[in-house]
Amino acid sequence: MGDDMIVRLAGVSRVYMQGNIEVRAVDNLDLTIRKGEFSALCGPSGSGKTTILNLIGALDAPTSGTVSLEGRNLSALSRGELSRFRRDRIGFVFQAYNLVPVLTAYENAEFVLALQNVPAPERRKRVMAVLEEVGMAGYIDRRPDELSGGQQQRVAIARAVVSEPAIVLADEPTANVDTEAADTILDLMERLNRNKGMTFLFSTHDQRVMRRAGRLIRLRDGRLEADEAVQ
Amino acid sequence: MQLNILAWRSLSRNRRRTLITGFSIAFGIFLAVTFTGSGDYSYTSMIDTGAMMGQGHVSVAAAGYNARPALSRWLPDPGPAMEAARGQAGVSGVYPRIMGQGMFAAGARNVGAVFLAVDPAREHAGHNFFVRSIVEGELFAEGDGRGAVIGAGMAEKLNLRPGKKVILTVTDRDGQLTSELFRVSGIFRTGDRAADSGFVLLPLDRVRRTLGYGSGGVTFVAVYLDDQRSANGVARELTRGLVSRQDVEVLTWRETQPDLSGLIAVDRLFNYLLQLLVGMIIAAGILNTMLMSVLERRRELGIMMALGMTPAQIVRLVLIESFWLGCLGVAMGIVLTAPWFHYMSQTGIDLSRLIGEEYSAGGVLVDPVMKMRLYRESGAAILAAVFMLTLAAAVYPAFRAGGIMPVDVIKEK
Repeated sequence: MGDDMIVRLAGVSRVYMQGNIEVRAVDNLDLTIRKGEFSALCGPSGSGKTTILNLIGALDAPTSGTVSLEGRNLSALSRGELSRFRRDRIGFVFQAYNLVPVLTAYENAEFVLALQNVPAPERRKRVMAVLEEVGMAGYIDRRPDELSGGQQQRVAIARAVVSEPAIVLADEPTANVDTEAADTILDLMERLNRNKGMTFLFSTHDQRVMRRAGRLIRLRDGRLEADEAVQ
Repeated sequence: MQLNILAWRSLSRNRRRTLITGFSIAFGIFLAVTFTGSGDYSYTSMIDTGAMMGQGHVSVAAAGYNARPALSRWLPDPGPAMEAARGQAGVSGVYPRIMGQGMFAAGARNVGAVFLAVDPAREHAGHNFFVRSIVEGELFAEGDGRGAVIGAGMAEKLNLRPGKKVILTVTDRDGQLTSELFRVSGIFRTGDRAADSGFVLLPLDRVRRTLGYGSGGVTFVAVYLDDQRSANGVARELTRGLVSRQDVEVLTWRETQPDLSGLIAVDRLFNYLLQLLVGMIIAAGILNTMLMSVLERRRELGIMMALGMTPAQIVRLVLIESFWLGCLGVAMGIVLTAPWFHYMSQTGIDLSRLIGEEYSAGGVLVDPVMKMRLYRESGAAILAAVFMLTLAAAVYPAFRAGGIMPVDVIKEK
């Protein structure tokens, strides 16, 4: 694996059983993601986008093949080790935001750093900087139910990037917000990618989002249909 | 983020449910304090009353006296035992005594009774149930006199009153029949029919002479304690101090009053079983609350695991929630129980209409006023049990939470 290669999927398949029917969500897929990429997984529903994000995010394990992140074979890690690996190396942005409802915007953004036992003063500095970056510094004491969908997603992005992970995985990050909020979120992710060199991999089937991606990984029936660099 | 803060916020999310569960814990504390407090009070009261009926909390007797009480088993010199007992911490009184059985006769009537020979100069009403229950006349003043204090029942049977004569016939230390004349100086009424009709207080020196015990002989030394719970410790120390004396045995009230000891043991066992049942019902409520709370937050807990919380941290989070629930329940329990406990420890409930004034158990008169007292260790045991129960009830929900697979909850839309 080259120095700038972050993710490598080699011959990965993920098979589910739905009753007696075998569903091949991902079928013998080879894929690499390099540092600093701003890539989109696209394809119709059921093409395997979310399953691939879950496999790369150490949330799911392949039926066959290997998933490596920064050179580590994820299948070799225990549940506890996978949790710590996700905490330290992966940032998640979910379609439904999934902020912790009992925590404020600040506490949600702080969550991963607190799990990493980063000292409180440094935590505060980093959290405030990233909330400033996503334009949510004025809402630090608000709980998720006091924020709009777009604002919640910006806090979720702050939570995903604050620990400076190796890769940020975003599953349809703009699917639940209006057009204006979607543009703000995409601008934000692009800026973080461009200015800080953060690697983003997101799933989408929204044409506007695909146009912003630097690389389009097209999937169909769990297989790679096309892999195109976009200027 | 401290897990404590997260746990507390989770509990405060559904305030009504948290308060209801807290109240059920508080009610459990209320019941536990009531059961344990009434037990602590009544057992102590019965043990102290039993001790005041003659043999004390601890007694030093002639070897074999307790197994087969006979006036031929006696201690010629109780001095060292009394000195050793007085040197123990927590000892409030040490008395040389003779206890035996004899026939009391007045005119043509006679009745068998137990006599307790005491030194009137030393005797303290606080340590002698019969002295404090004198209702007519008084305790004889001279140890070598011929005074006798008899029970109201015996006075009625033998048609006696203060100033009248009564003759004791008894076998002496050598097994010879001997008689002595006494004159009734007082009459006691304890409320216990058996005691009132079959118990007599006699002067120690006169009885010594009658039995041929010499100037210092006794059947036992009765030791009274500030706190009956230290009986085992004091008995152990006394045994150690008197190890060279093969002719004596040191006994606690459990051995001298096995009926009372057995009654308390059985009652205490039922008390514990009842509390265990109440505890299990409350634990089921806590388990239900915690399980509902975990199932409702499946997605949230799964997301926290996806973000990097380990299964062990999730288990700990749920257990901490349970701990805070226990703290809340204890606080509510104190508020709920304190006024009740204060009333019950100061005033109590008079049950004499239900059980009568003369209710005895295990040969000991029972106070018809139900009261409470709570020993420090009983209070600590209740608190510890509440926390253990609260945490134990959360173990299953905690492991259910720790077993959530993040990928499963993320798939759920």
